[in-house]
Amino acid sequence: MDFSVNCDPESGRAVIICSGRLDVNNSRQLRDILNDVVARSCYQIVLDLSQTQYMDSSGLGAVVSRIADLRANGGDVRIAGAKNHVAGLFKLTHLDKVIKLFDNVDNATASFTE
Amino acid sequence: MNSRVYFHQLEPDYHRPVYRLTDKAKSRIRKRMKFLYGNHQMDSLMTELERLLQVYYAHKSEEMINWDSCFDPENRFTEKDVILITYGDLIRGPRQKPLQTLAEFCHTYFKGAFNTLHILPFFPYSSDRGFAVMDFEEVDPNLGSWEDILALKKDFKLMFDGVLNHVSSKSRWFQEFLNQNPDYLDFFTVFSTRSEISPDHLKLIVRPRTSDLLSEFQTLNGTRLVWSTFSHDQIDLNYRNPRVMLKMIEILLFYVRWGADLIRLDAITYLWEELGTTSIHLKQSHESIKLLRDILDAVAPHVALITETNVPHNDNIKYFSNGYDEAQMVYNFALPPLVLHAFQNEDSTKLSHWAAGLNFISPQATYFNFLDSHDGIGVMAVQGILSATEIEQMALKVLEHGGYISYKANGDGTESPYELNITWYSAINRDDGTESFELKIQRYLASRAIALVLRGVPGVYLHGLLGSRNDADAVLEEGSTRSINRRTICKKDLTDALSDKASRISRIATALLDLIKLRIHEKTFHPNAPQEVFFISDACFVIQRSALAGDEKMLCIINVTSQPQAVGLDKQKLERESDQLQDILTKKKYRFVRGKLTINCRPYEILWLKGK
Repeated sequence: MDFSVNCDPESGRAVIICSGRLDVNNSRQLRDILNDVVARSCYQIVLDLSQTQYMDSSGLGAVVSRIADLRANGGDVRIAGAKNHVAGLFKLTHLDKVIKLFDNVDNATASFTE
Repeated sequence: MNSRVYFHQLEPDYHRPVYRLTDKAKSRIRKRMKFLYGNHQMDSLMTELERLLQVYYAHKSEEMINWDSCFDPENRFTEKDVILITYGDLIRGPRQKPLQTLAEFCHTYFKGAFNTLHILPFFPYSSDRGFAVMDFEEVDPNLGSWEDILALKKDFKLMFDGVLNHVSSKSRWFQEFLNQNPDYLDFFTVFSTRSEISPDHLKLIVRPRTSDLLSEFQTLNGTRLVWSTFSHDQIDLNYRNPRVMLKMIEILLFYVRWGADLIRLDAITYLWEELGTTSIHLKQSHESIKLLRDILDAVAPHVALITETNVPHNDNIKYFSNGYDEAQMVYNFALPPLVLHAFQNEDSTKLSHWAAGLNFISPQATYFNFLDSHDGIGVMAVQGILSATEIEQMALKVLEHGGYISYKANGDGTESPYELNITWYSAINRDDGTESFELKIQRYLASRAIALVLRGVPGVYLHGLLGSRNDADAVLEEGSTRSINRRTICKKDLTDALSDKASRISRIATALLDLIKLRIHEKTFHPNAPQEVFFISDACFVIQRSALAGDEKMLCIINVTSQPQAVGLDKQKLERESDQLQDILTKKKYRFVRGKLTINCRPYEILWLKGK
């Protein structure tokens, strides 16, 4: 799993691209990244999962690991580009009722200004 | 207790005089039947009902008849009552049926602390971990047999589930409906087309699920739609048909014969459905429970009913009715979310205000104080106690702790959180946090202590007793968020963990069992011993229990924060006679000086201060 982080404290927004498998071996890394961007006052986070081929329960846990803090600060985490198995996990766990899923990063980012 | 294993005979004894309802009991039962079913066929219904009671009674041993005649319903629940909630197969060992493993394990580890076992549905089932029952009168052969259930009675009182609301689509009853057997056509609420329920009527119906209300099945005579509150596999029984009611009465009495001391009425609020209404809390549902109570009071007064209704608190406690004619115990659904709220926010204010309003019900009825069970942490009960924002924030924190949220349909097309799916340990403690192990253990114990000190009977789910963490993988594997708290445990692994004094499981189980063993010897913890909540500090939950005889008091202080707290006590306000208090947990003594005492509580400390 590779992570690419684009954090802009000025706009308070961050886009995190997760490529490959998000599982027990690297979910800790995603948690650390989220902690880091939140520490930099980026509360509007887009997780780009368009290149995520597989996710397990620990990956799912990492995705929502700061959701209460984000919303308490007027932000949120939004998902972009999740497909097939990964999108199915959000539905199966009802997380799709909590987190908004978008086709792509642009739509997810734009949703913060709507 | 041993002899109670054999309190019922396997064969009826019809040489004895046949049981007759007293005029008073008959009149009460008749009145309820009339309310539910009108006068039509009343005589034949009463005759059949009395026959069921006679059959049951013929199974009672002389010893039991004598014992029941002396039974005091006002002394049914005492401080000795603590209920362990478990599935029959949560602990599995080799070369042994799970119920035998459970009996062995409970005998070794839990006897002397818990006196009652709630064995979650142990019948053959097709889904929902036992709550889609295929045969109400059989023990799932994968778990064991009725003899294995009876064997548990050597050490414990038993609580069975009465899954009255619905039956598995794979059950013989429903299969006979599909076969269009005339005897079963009215066992279910059936429609030929969806248009038979108007959109307005559909909107009115309150359900804890978002699935379709009507499930479609092919029968011998074509397509039929059946009312299914919970799932396509759980078909609601039609209690407007008196034969369904009589059949379930027969089954409940069968459970009593096989050892039930408590019967948990699962999802009972949805029992009676009526188009044009919400089909929740209907007067007919309450009257049905009262009918069951009257029947048990008449022939098996030692058996109590406990209602499980995840609904707003004020609706929930209506299942007590006047305290004498409906449920003897009610699941205290508001307690878990309020305790969770207190610990998440390190503020006991909401919990304290709610607890202060937990009124005495009657000498025969009390609350069932649980924090966790096989289901999630229901949030319906705190509607109106916590704001929508507070509930949402609590749910989001549960997500952060690795849990999930289940939703219900509101009837207007919207959905809202119904329960939080997470183990109690993971709800209270964050796995990825930097806090010390000691602090997490202490926080956990403090949260559990609250359910032990309140008015009522406490219950602990086996995974709560062991401090189990989320089983997140099972959620994805089984496709159910409730699987997060239902992990099956290997007996050897559990025995090893309990032997390792430093393990989380051993630390938590030992400490909780010790707390319970102390509690059951304190008459101030009698379920109906008066309680008074003190608003001394937002950081501490402070409650005083007084023995029924008025000769002893127990002041319980639980620090719900991660910081030390100074708690100032006033002897006069506490109405204490003696200057001395002793913490029964640490044996440490405290003394009022000129009527004042300040106690410095460590983070998440529990104090049980006894004295006169």
